Amino acid sequence: MNSQAALQTTNRIIAAILGGYAFTWGFSVLGITSLVALGIDFHEAETGLSLIAFLVFLGLFLWAFAAKSMIRVWLVLAGGAAIMMLIGTVLQNSLLS
Amino acid sequence: MFNSLRMSMGWVHTWMGLVLGFVLMICFFFGALSVFDREIDRWAIPDTRFEPQPMPSFDEVLKPVYEQLRPDPVDMAATERRVVGSLPDPETLELESLFAYTTHRDPVLLIGGEFAIPNEPIDPTDDHQHVHGRATVNPATGELLNDDALKIGSDWFYPMHFSLNFNWMMLGYWIVGLAALVMLAGLVSGVIIHRKIFREFFTFRPWKNLFRSSLDLHNMTGVVALPFHFFFAFTALVIFASNIYLPVTHTTLKPLHEHHEKLEAARTGLPHEPAGVPAPLASVDAMVAEAKRRWAQRDMAGEVGFLSMNHLGDENGYVSIYRAGSDRVALVGEGIHFKASTGEVIREEPPRSAVSSIDEFLTGLHLQHFEHWMLRWLYVFGGLLGAVCIATGFVLFVEKRKARHAKTGSQGSRIVDALAVTTVTGMVLAAVGMLVANRLLPADLPGKGQWEQIAFWSVWALAFLHAAWRSSPVAKARHNPAWREQSLLLGLLSLSAVGLNWITTGDHLIKTVFTDTYWAVAGVDLSLIATALIAFFAAARLRAPVSEQKADNALSRNKQVNAYD
Amino acid sequence: MTETIWLIAAVTAALLSMSWLALAYESHWQQVFPESGTLPNRRRLKLSAWVFLLLSAVFCLNADHPSMAVLVWVMLLAVAAFSVAMMLSHRPALLKIICLPLFAAKA
Repeated sequence: MNSQAALQTTNRIIAAILGGYAFTWGFSVLGITSLVALGIDFHEAETGLSLIAFLVFLGLFLWAFAAKSMIRVWLVLAGGAAIMMLIGTVLQNSLLS
Repeated sequence: MFNSLRMSMGWVHTWMGLVLGFVLMICFFFGALSVFDREIDRWAIPDTRFEPQPMPSFDEVLKPVYEQLRPDPVDMAATERRVVGSLPDPETLELESLFAYTTHRDPVLLIGGEFAIPNEPIDPTDDHQHVHGRATVNPATGELLNDDALKIGSDWFYPMHFSLNFNWMMLGYWIVGLAALVMLAGLVSGVIIHRKIFREFFTFRPWKNLFRSSLDLHNMTGVVALPFHFFFAFTALVIFASNIYLPVTHTTLKPLHEHHEKLEAARTGLPHEPAGVPAPLASVDAMVAEAKRRWAQRDMAGEVGFLSMNHLGDENGYVSIYRAGSDRVALVGEGIHFKASTGEVIREEPPRSAVSSIDEFLTGLHLQHFEHWMLRWLYVFGGLLGAVCIATGFVLFVEKRKARHAKTGSQGSRIVDALAVTTVTGMVLAAVGMLVANRLLPADLPGKGQWEQIAFWSVWALAFLHAAWRSSPVAKARHNPAWREQSLLLGLLSLSAVGLNWITTGDHLIKTVFTDTYWAVAGVDLSLIATALIAFFAAARLRAPVSEQKADNALSRNKQVNAYD
Repeated sequence: MTETIWLIAAVTAALLSMSWLALAYESHWQQVFPESGTLPNRRRLKLSAWVFLLLSAVFCLNADHPSMAVLVWVMLLAVAAFSVAMMLSHRPALLKIICLPLFAAKA
C-alpha cells in the first residue's frame, strides 16, 4: 500500500468511527429532545433512541467505506452532527424554560 | 479507492474483522463461559457448593448482616481523591442505601450498599457522593463469606467478555464496544460479499484444502447463527448505551434528564431526596409477602430477585422489591415500592410500554436471568459458533496470503497466525490454567484471587511467546506447530483440572452426577473433559492432515458437492 | 415434565426439518444417496421441511412463555442446521435414517 492509499484508508476509518459516532450522538440528542417536545416520556425517548442509534451508527460506518466521495461523507457526518447538536440543545433549553 | 460496493465491503470485512477479531474471540469465548458463570464460581470456591436458595428473610437474617457491612477500601481510596479533605474513619460511616440480589442459580447472596460521606466534592458537578460496600452472604445462616475468594466465573470470566478486565479509563469497555460494532459491520458486509448464502447453509467439506474447508466453516457458522451473532453484538451496545457508549442523557441532555427525574419523583411518589427526619423501619418481610401476593394476583407468582432501600432511616425512605426473572426473558421487574417507615405501598409499577418491552426483551435475552437450562446450553453453543466463525476467519486470512508472503519475504501472515494461536488455543489455555491454579493454590492463601489472575495472564503470555517462537514455518508457507502443541497441552491441562478438583475437594464425577448430584460442579468437570477430547482430536488431526488417498475417495464420493467451486 | 416432552419434540422436528431442507439440494442428496441417481421429489422435501419448521415453533410455544420460545426456536434452528451440516460431512449415512418417514410416504 503506498502512502496515498494509506492516507485515504486512514481517512475512511476515522470518518467511519469518529464521524459516525459524532453523527450518532447528535442524532440521539435531537431524537430525544424532539420526542420529549412531542410529549413522549423522557425515559421512553431515551430507550427508543438507544435502540435506533446503533443501527444508524452501523449504517454510517459501512457507508463511510462504500461512499464514492469522502468530502460528502465528512460533510454529512460532521455537518449533520453539528446541526443536530445545535437544534437539540436549543430545543432542550426551550423545553426547560 | 474502492471500485465497487463489494470491494469496499470486502475490505471492511477482512481488515476490520482481522484487527477486532482478536477482541471478538475474547467476547465470544468468555461470553459463552459467562452463561454458566455461577456454576464456575461453585467449582472454584468449594465452600459454596450448596443448593441455590431464595432471598432469605430480611428482618431475621439480612438486617444484622448489613450492620457488619463496611465500605470497600478500594472505593474509599478512589472516593478520597474526588473529595475535599480526608474521609472519616470507615467504621463510623453510615449506610444511606442498600441492596440484595440473587438469582435462581445463586447459592450465595450478593449484598451491598452506599455509605454517606460528609465531604464536599472537588468537582461541584460530581454528584456521586458516597462510598460503596459489597459482601457475599450465605443466605441460610446469614454469615458473611470470605470475599477474598475470587469468583472466577462471575467476577473474572464474565467481566472479561465486556471489559477485557482492563478498567483503566474504561478502555476495555470501549474496545469491546468497537468490536461489537465491527461484528455487526462484519455480518452485514459478509452477507453483501457472499451472495449465495443459503446454498452453503449445510456445506462443510473437511476433505478439501485448508482454505476451502475453513471458508465452508466460516460461512456456515456465520450464517446458521446469524440472528444470534447479530442480536448479541447489537444488544451488547444497547445494554451499555446510556451509561457508557452513548451517555447523551448524562452529558448533553443532563439538564433535561434532571428536570424529568424531579417530575417523576413527584408523579411516582418515590422521594428523590431524604426529608432529614429520622424514622424507623417497618417489617420488610411483610412488604415481601405483599409484593408476592400482588405478583400472584397478576398471574406471575415468583420469588424476590432484587431488594433495595433508599434514604435509610429517613422519613422519606422507601423499599423497592423486584421479581426475579425466571420464566420470562425480561430481567428483574414488576417492581413494587413501599414506604419504609409504615410498609404501605407507595407505587406499583404499571405494565411496560411497547418501547420498554422491546428494550427489556433485547437486554434480557443477552443478560439471561431466566430459568431455562436448554436455552443456556444453546447460548453456549451459539457463542462457540461465533468463536469458530472468527477463528476460521484468521485461518482464511493466513491461508490466502502465506504463499505470497513466503515469496515476497513478508512476515504478515506469520504474525497474524501467531496471534491467532494466542487467541484460540492460548485463550482457552489461560482459562483452564486459571482453574488449575485455583485448585493448586491453598484456599487460605492471602490474596489468592490475585495469584489466580497472575496465573491467567502468565499462561496467556507464555502461549503467545510459544506461538511466536514456533511461527517461522508460516513465513515459508507451512503450518505453525504451536497449534498442535498447544492443543495437546490444553487436553492435558483440562484433564488435570478435573483430577485436581477430585483430589482437593473429593468431588469426583461419579459423586457429582450419580450419588450426590451437584450439576454445577459436574457440568464444569464434564465440559473440561469435552474440551480435552476436542483438543486431543484436533492435535491428532493436525499431526496427520487428510491423506491424499482419503481425500481422493472423499472427492469422488462427493463430486457433486464440488459443483459449487 | 410436559415442557421437557414439548422441547424434545421441538428438537426432533427441527432436526428433521433441517435434514430435509438440506436433502432438497441435489448436491447434498448425492452425498447421502450416491447410488440412487437424482433427487426424487424436491418439492415434497421442501414442503415437509417447512411444515416441520413450523411445527417445531409450535412445540416451543407449548413449552415456554412466547418470549422465551422465540429464543429457544431460533437457537434450535442454528444447532439443527449445524448438526445436519456435520452429519453430511462426516456421517452422511445417518441422514438416511432421518429420511425413512419420507420413503414410507412414497411407498
